[in-house]
Amino acid sequence: MAANRWLATGNFFTTYQEEQRTFITSLDRLIFSLFLIVLFIWPIFFSVSRTYMLVVDNILVAVIAVLGLNLVTGFAGLISIGHAAFMGVGAYTIASFSRILGDSHIIITHFWPLLIFIAGVAGAITGAIVGLPSLRLKHLYLAIATLSFQMIFEWAIKFLTFFNQGQTISVGRVVWFTGEVGRNDHYIFWYYVALVIIVLFGFVVSNLFKTRYGRALVAVRDNDRAADAMGMHPGFTKVYAFALSGFLAGVAGAVHAFLYKGAGIESFTLHHSITYLAMAIVGGLGTLNGSFWGPAAIEILNLQVEKFSEYAGNYLPSAMNLATALRPFTFGLVIVLFLMFEPRGIANWWRIAKSYTKTWPFRY
Amino acid sequence: MTYLNVSEVTLSFGGLNALSDVNMEIEEGFITSIIGPNGAGKTSMLNCISGFYHPTYGQITYQGKNLTHASPHEVSNMGIARAFQNLELFRGLSVLDNLLLARHIKLKYNFLQALIFWGKASKVEAENRKFVEEVIDFMELEPYRKSLVGNLSYGVQKKVEVARALTLEPDLLLLDEPMAGMNLEEKEDIVRFIMDIQKERKVTVVLVEHDLGVVMDISDRIHVLDFGQLIGSGTPQEVSSNPKVIEAYIGNE
Repeated sequence: MAANRWLATGNFFTTYQEEQRTFITSLDRLIFSLFLIVLFIWPIFFSVSRTYMLVVDNILVAVIAVLGLNLVTGFAGLISIGHAAFMGVGAYTIASFSRILGDSHIIITHFWPLLIFIAGVAGAITGAIVGLPSLRLKHLYLAIATLSFQMIFEWAIKFLTFFNQGQTISVGRVVWFTGEVGRNDHYIFWYYVALVIIVLFGFVVSNLFKTRYGRALVAVRDNDRAADAMGMHPGFTKVYAFALSGFLAGVAGAVHAFLYKGAGIESFTLHHSITYLAMAIVGGLGTLNGSFWGPAAIEILNLQVEKFSEYAGNYLPSAMNLATALRPFTFGLVIVLFLMFEPRGIANWWRIAKSYTKTWPFRY
Repeated sequence: MTYLNVSEVTLSFGGLNALSDVNMEIEEGFITSIIGPNGAGKTSMLNCISGFYHPTYGQITYQGKNLTHASPHEVSNMGIARAFQNLELFRGLSVLDNLLLARHIKLKYNFLQALIFWGKASKVEAENRKFVEEVIDFMELEPYRKSLVGNLSYGVQKKVEVARALTLEPDLLLLDEPMAGMNLEEKEDIVRFIMDIQKERKVTVVLVEHDLGVVMDISDRIHVLDFGQLIGSGTPQEVSSNPKVIEAYIGNE
């Protein structure tokens, strides 16, 4: 037995357990590990301004959120227009602790990983409750049910004095082994936290789809009558999909709250829900790596548009609000173009590139 | 105790009776066919057994358990699998994934083990894969293992449909027109599979089929429905000499 573990050619398996591996070839694993190492060490060698570090952090938070959205919309096929509200549940869980205990209580500064987990659980519970209509409703009607949750959430936060009526509730700085995370390290610190969470969730989700718990999601998307005949309860599977997505959204919201040192309603509006949906579509619905491409593409696009309008603003003083007009315009244009020409998203480009390199230098 | 007992089942949609007062017994280990002209209520009968419809009156019991009001997933948990007439496959998935999905209820590991996918979950999945490969082997689907179901030809999709029902490891297999729209060669294949399923895997088969030649050849028992009523049942010889059945199929003068 001389299996070639480095290239796709000549790489074969002799047991079914071997075939379950995440990385088919050792080359894949090597490239992935190098990529991870680069992600972890680049902030040490390049010092990036706080503005740009915040953009990077935003991308990572969005990646966690879109990963969750992809589970429910991409894999389970249930359109969720309330994803920002689920994030909001996570963020406001942290904010509630800060409200009750004071924003620099020892629980917030020292036990923040536990708080992030609790926020995830809160998101999951809310997700399951909001997912209950999926026992009866399908397709667009279910989407409207999630939209109504978004509305209820915004309304509730804006009108409850406990949540400061939507004004920012501050959350204190956290403490790491090296002491309190100061102003200069703040964004880099949360970059690492978000990165670790993403790597963890990335592996966990990819494992999930090798098991019955992941396959059940795809089953209810493709054909829920047949899923029923296969012995799954289609309704509960959908509720479970919402809970799973809610957990990831809750975690994303919690990280968001810590990153911005506070939670306010302006980060969890309908606009954000739609942005996350757009990220999932641009990245590629129903693919794991699409959850990484989408947020990166949209956030970088936003940045470029802002830059461009700033530049154009120098020459067109009459059009001072160019940025406000241009952002939604390009955003909408990108979604329309993707839906028309590449409904499978950037993940499809990645697939094509990968299959090309696999057969290189042969063309077939 | 009868194996599967359908007693006085009436299924009505508004004023229309799809089934009226049907009694039938299905015996263990046999191939039982349900035949009848178009719109006779054959598929409705199957839908009642598999839980997609619930009878308006009457009762269905399987090995002493009442499944009159059970939902499809409860029915399949009892060991009754079904293949659909109008392909209800997971079109976006490969043949292998389709069959793996059918193993859902047989896999014993919990959510946390699934997330870690180390040890138990991985081992169970490997064994599970082995079982699925046996079914693929049995149904001669090896060339299509990794291809998307949506891209396969109709005949192969029908075979996948039967294979998926078989992957559930059922005691009772309900096949709804597994030979519809197939050519002679493909029909012969399916007939061979059905007989193998009964003999080698010891599965009781209930077959709904239009092709009378096939039905007469392979069935041990036949029930004939016409306009929702049972007009005859028994062995192929008894049924083919039953004047009511002849009238339903050929008409009278």
